Amino acid sequence: MPGSSTVSDREAANIVAYLRTLNSPTTSGVVTGDPKKGEALYNSSGCPACHMIAGQGGSIGPELTRVGAVRGATNLKARLQDPGANLPQVGDGPFGSKWTQYLMFRAVEKDGRAVEGVRVGEDSFTIVLKDASGKFHGLWKPDLRSLEKEPGKSFMPSFKVTLSAAQQDDLVAYLMSLKSAQ
Amino acid sequence: MKSFLYALVFVVSLFPGAARLLAQDVSYEQLLHADSTPQDWLMYGGDYQSQRFSRLTQINRENVHSLKPAWIYQPNHPLQPFETSPVVVDGVMYVTEPLSTVTALDARLGTKIWSWSPHLPEKIFTIGVHRSNRGVAVFNNTVYVETLDAHLVALDATTGAVRWSVHVDENGQGYAMTGAPRVLDGKIIVGISGGDVGIRGFVDAYDAKTGKRLWRVWTIPNPGEPGSETWGKDMSGTGGAGTWGTGSYDPELNLLYWTTGNPAPDYNGSNREGDNLYSDSVLAIDPDAGKMKWYFQFTPHDTHDWDAIQVPVLFDEMVEGKPRKLLALANRNGFYYVLDRVSGEFVTGVPFVTQTWAKGLDKNGRPILLPNTEPTPEGSLVYPDGHGGTNWNSPSYSPQTKLFYVSAREIGAYTVQGQPKVHFPDFGGGGRNALSGDDSYGAIRALEATTGKLKWEYRLLAPAEVSTLATAGGLVFSVSDEGNFFALDAATGKLLWEFTVGGTGAESNPITYEVDGKQYLIGASGNCFVAFSLP
Repeated sequence: MPGSSTVSDREAANIVAYLRTLNSPTTSGVVTGDPKKGEALYNSSGCPACHMIAGQGGSIGPELTRVGAVRGATNLKARLQDPGANLPQVGDGPFGSKWTQYLMFRAVEKDGRAVEGVRVGEDSFTIVLKDASGKFHGLWKPDLRSLEKEPGKSFMPSFKVTLSAAQQDDLVAYLMSLKSAQ
Repeated sequence: MKSFLYALVFVVSLFPGAARLLAQDVSYEQLLHADSTPQDWLMYGGDYQSQRFSRLTQINRENVHSLKPAWIYQPNHPLQPFETSPVVVDGVMYVTEPLSTVTALDARLGTKIWSWSPHLPEKIFTIGVHRSNRGVAVFNNTVYVETLDAHLVALDATTGAVRWSVHVDENGQGYAMTGAPRVLDGKIIVGISGGDVGIRGFVDAYDAKTGKRLWRVWTIPNPGEPGSETWGKDMSGTGGAGTWGTGSYDPELNLLYWTTGNPAPDYNGSNREGDNLYSDSVLAIDPDAGKMKWYFQFTPHDTHDWDAIQVPVLFDEMVEGKPRKLLALANRNGFYYVLDRVSGEFVTGVPFVTQTWAKGLDKNGRPILLPNTEPTPEGSLVYPDGHGGTNWNSPSYSPQTKLFYVSAREIGAYTVQGQPKVHFPDFGGGGRNALSGDDSYGAIRALEATTGKLKWEYRLLAPAEVSTLATAGGLVFSVSDEGNFFALDAATGKLLWEFTVGGTGAESNPITYEVDGKQYLIGASGNCFVAFSLP
């Protein structure tokens, strides 16, 4: 393929990042469960308390209205079993730098107060964490006593034991059916 | 010397009070003594030594916390990186905007005075090149700018009218121009971009009055010339070694120091066995003769895209009890080098970021390679990544603290070897897959200039590609990758001021100047070019 005459380094990195998503493990996998059973499980397992679908539900976790269009069955099943592992990455930095989504942090302020939450925004001097109640905490890094990443951790419980393998597949089938915008 | 034939531009009669703007006739004498007019920022790097050190003190450690935005300018073509380092002369600021536009601004108000854009062809080859521009040179009431389609253009500083334009080389063969020219006495020195697509790098000198080319120094020797044996075969036409940075100059030694980029193809060296002179080097050039006096190569046979186009910083200091004329360069390969700029002799070199490819440098400064660090088809993790321990943006040096301030990038990448492609425009040798933002970070690091020893660091979120600015007010200014402007105590690295602009501060090159007794700090972030001053 000839080199493009109009693509900068940064643009090229974005194109590469997009092309990678086309064959990403986050979008692969085969649906085997029953989506109707999965919908019932979704509602009975407490999921709507934290997640929103088509305008209904909570806003602690990611919105799931189109989750079937952006994630694959394998990835969703892994999320159900170990919600804090292998978190997705997004590339909005310069030259295609990727950042971990939903990464949890624990910040301790100088007066000893601790805040634990999911990172929703960060720069070199500030970080905004969303706590388990959905409240935002905007923190000025130079004023913190400590700021630690909590890789592997998530506010979402694991369904690895509480749901059978078949139930997990049903739930994944329901989530994979969610492909359209509201 | 001022030429009042051109001097009067217009009278500003609006807020905040009338002030007359003069487009000053910048003489070589003024350029030689740039430090004696600290209200101006006369050239790329601030002075011929490229120290990026301002002697202005109005904004200082005690009051910098009060710094507020004074004005904001937004370029006409905001979708490309805004990479300019402004030049300020007598209250007029000259900036470049993507793609190759020059704009003159009232430096006190941010008001546009004139703007000029070249008629660029519909199709421009800028492979591996940012479609941007890093700034102008000003000399004798003329503004000099390089264009993406490889022209050097001289504009009237008062009106933006074209005085002359010369065709430097063939854009259709990959040659492009994005750098800021360097002005000597009557000569305009320029480099060239396109090293990743197999151009043959050079440094050119042009007559400032007429645009006539005076000389060309090739960065890849002709067959049979010294250095040609370091390529394994004749690569004089396509070996790369672009010259897209801006060099420094020692008027007393009459030596121009210009740096060179990586050899091509980049990530696969099987087609170019040997050291590949004069890629990834600094060249000391006699600007009268147009001849290379000496060279120093930082990364022989580079296979990681570690262009050495960082700006060489010149300073004089005692080393082991003896006064030395030194040249310092924090290299994309992760090492900080100090050379004797008279002879090119290696003085010292130490890593300033994590690097995993060399055991160290030998007594001549040549890297001692570690095994298993070459790119592989599967990808080999090496620090630093291809954008380097630092990239093209300028460091600064303070003669007060004797510290060298550099934007350090702590990031590695899996370097992937592909098949060498050597037929323009399909040119390359692989690529890289950099680690994620959460597995890397940036920092402003202060190094002892003569030793490279770390004095302090201020950590940043992302590895940033930004310049630093040091001032006699005891400050170091820079911009984060996320668009935070900030000031640090030059002696300790303590954070003293921060202002969030957003966008991305990547490629920002803050400078400072003074108009009507008020000092300003200015830099770019995102689509904004923001000037700050005290209330």
